[in-house]
Amino acid sequence: MSRRLSWAGLLPALTGGIMVLVLHWLVFFYVPTEAAQGLIQRIFYIHVPAAWVAFMAFGIVALCSAVYLWLGDERLDMAAVSAAEGGMIFTTIVLLTGPLWGRVAWGTWWTWEPRLTFTLLLWFIYLGYFMVRSATESPERGRRFAAVLGIVGAVDIPLIHLSVVWFRSLHPQPVVLKPEGPTLPPEMLLTLMLGFVSFTLLFFGMTHFRYGLERTRIEAAGRESRDGGIEP
Amino acid sequence: MNYLRQLRAVLWKDLVVELRTRERTISMAGFTVLVAFLFNHALDPARVDVQDVAAGLLWMTIVFAGTLGIGRTFQLESEDGAFHGVLMSPTPKDAIYLGKVGANFVILLLVTLLALAVFGLFFHLQYGERPLVLLLVMALGILGFVAFATLFSAISSGTVMGDTLLPILLFPLLVPMVIYGVSATDRLLAGRPVAEIAGHLRMLAAFALVAVFSGAGLFRFVVEE
Amino acid sequence: MTRSAIGDPDSPSETAPGRVPALEATGLVRNFGPVTAVDDVSFTLDEGDFLTVFGPNGAGKTTLLGMLGGGLRPTSGDVWIRGTRIGVRSGDWRHRVGVLSHQSFLYGHLTCAENLWFFGRLYGLEDLETRVPDRLEGVGLRVRADAPVRSLSRGMRQRLALARTLLHDPEVVLLDEPYTGLDAHAADVLRGVLSSLKDGRRTVVLVTHNLGQGLELAERIFVQVRGRIVFDRPRGEIDAASFERRYREVVEGAAGFALADASPKAR
Repeated sequence: MSRRLSWAGLLPALTGGIMVLVLHWLVFFYVPTEAAQGLIQRIFYIHVPAAWVAFMAFGIVALCSAVYLWLGDERLDMAAVSAAEGGMIFTTIVLLTGPLWGRVAWGTWWTWEPRLTFTLLLWFIYLGYFMVRSATESPERGRRFAAVLGIVGAVDIPLIHLSVVWFRSLHPQPVVLKPEGPTLPPEMLLTLMLGFVSFTLLFFGMTHFRYGLERTRIEAAGRESRDGGIEP
Repeated sequence: MNYLRQLRAVLWKDLVVELRTRERTISMAGFTVLVAFLFNHALDPARVDVQDVAAGLLWMTIVFAGTLGIGRTFQLESEDGAFHGVLMSPTPKDAIYLGKVGANFVILLLVTLLALAVFGLFFHLQYGERPLVLLLVMALGILGFVAFATLFSAISSGTVMGDTLLPILLFPLLVPMVIYGVSATDRLLAGRPVAEIAGHLRMLAAFALVAVFSGAGLFRFVVEE
Repeated sequence: MTRSAIGDPDSPSETAPGRVPALEATGLVRNFGPVTAVDDVSFTLDEGDFLTVFGPNGAGKTTLLGMLGGGLRPTSGDVWIRGTRIGVRSGDWRHRVGVLSHQSFLYGHLTCAENLWFFGRLYGLEDLETRVPDRLEGVGLRVRADAPVRSLSRGMRQRLALARTLLHDPEVVLLDEPYTGLDAHAADVLRGVLSSLKDGRRTVVLVTHNLGQGLELAERIFVQVRGRIVFDRPRGEIDAASFERRYREVVEGAAGFALADASPKAR
């Protein structure tokens, strides 16, 4: 069983990892420099794919949470928390690369650009997810609370997105994180696509290993309780 | 229909208890007045025309007061374990939830009216020819707010952190309400025609609907033992 | 009187052809983290049975009762009320159970009558105009109908709680240490109400560590120690004095409970 698990995780993780290395080479040596922003624009190939994974991960969290509440199968919760951890990591990457980009390209650390705003909110929803999991006395309750949060978050996110984009349309600001011109030249497109694919693979590999870890942890706790529960 | 009777019973009970203790209403009301007072001193009238920011301040005051008050919803239930008795009854969990949302809504609506009065008084706001539309905007907004807040209050009171966790869980999700609510209020205060805020009303209604439905569906998972 | 029968876990056992037991527990287990509070308890009760469960503090009696009443989800095992399996999510069996717990389940700021009206509505009862005053009368609280529960003494609150428990005429009545903290008068009222429950229709489970009161009404006796039922006998087979002696030894933590010692009335 553990052998099967590790191959299913190893394949995407290794492939993803290798592709990320290739990606970095492409980002630094292959892709042409964008005219307006200069070198810093290359961060776009990290920033955008990371954002994609962050949101996809949350979708997975929400889906697993919903089925977990419906069926009660703990493995779904394990999948949800594994995806959530990966998702939070990539969300953090977006929040680190965004301001860095903005600072170098335009001199401001923060901008209320919809994607960044939206990602910050997502980060807090993830935070709430983890806080609620660990703040309960009974771990089972924590899992249920977190699942509820995952579902509510997912349900509200479309509304949040609409409102944030609309808000920005009311208050136009200098376009700081403008990723591209009207069309992407093929080299840029290729690099971007590689970014999406490699990050996604890496995410699934990570999630798989995290799931395995969670499973082992729960099994160990179960064995402990069985041994510890009998009194002399 | 029995469901409605059960819902009404929960709503009635919450309101009666609140009427007799007045605990939450008074603290929310006091908070509202004092915050408005502080705002007055926090803004330099030479540089800021309060009319320009009144809509935002009003909504934020209501959000904070509401969080304060609704956070206590389940605290009051745990004395003598009465809520456990309610959960053990055949009343469906979503009926219990909706009853509580209804009661919280009434209470927060009263606080909102107070806020409108106080802000009107302190900052000389004109509520224009259509105060009822303004009230509709606020009512839709706070309905969604109350629905989410009640659900999360049940969650946070089940954690060791208690209602200090509530803002962290709740605030990110309130963004649509704040954006559309403030914008609509702003326009109404500026005397713009009602037609301009039709889209806002739709979005606020959507927000309220999403909140109420997801709360009703998920409440049972929060309260089971 | 039937002994516990562990049959097919997916359907309740039948004690007589065509008769469904009033209350049945199969393989009940409840863990709180590493601690096992209830350890594989199974038994069957027929309509009209009166079971008393004794046990020292921490034996898991309250946890067991919690699961029987549907207030607590078992880690594993099932409870059936009249053939319907208790699922924390389904609702119908809730009409059939009444629980009197350590906590009163009452709202301090509502009056006695209001509390009963409220719970009456939750249970979908129709005739509350007559039922509420009647039930208040039954526990001697008619004069206090409009007094807020906060202003009542412990004994009065417990009486009201009892009225609340029985308001919807449940077939299965579960009582968790109801005599705790009661004055003599309230204890009398309680005893009277409990006696009236032995009407052949209702099934009662009483948890107590008061031997006198527990033995008085019981038809069947359990002793629970550290989550397990270590003693299960009909009342008729027990000599009160030797039972009491043995029980005290158990409570003081000495040897396990030996069945042979609580033998029938042999002098």
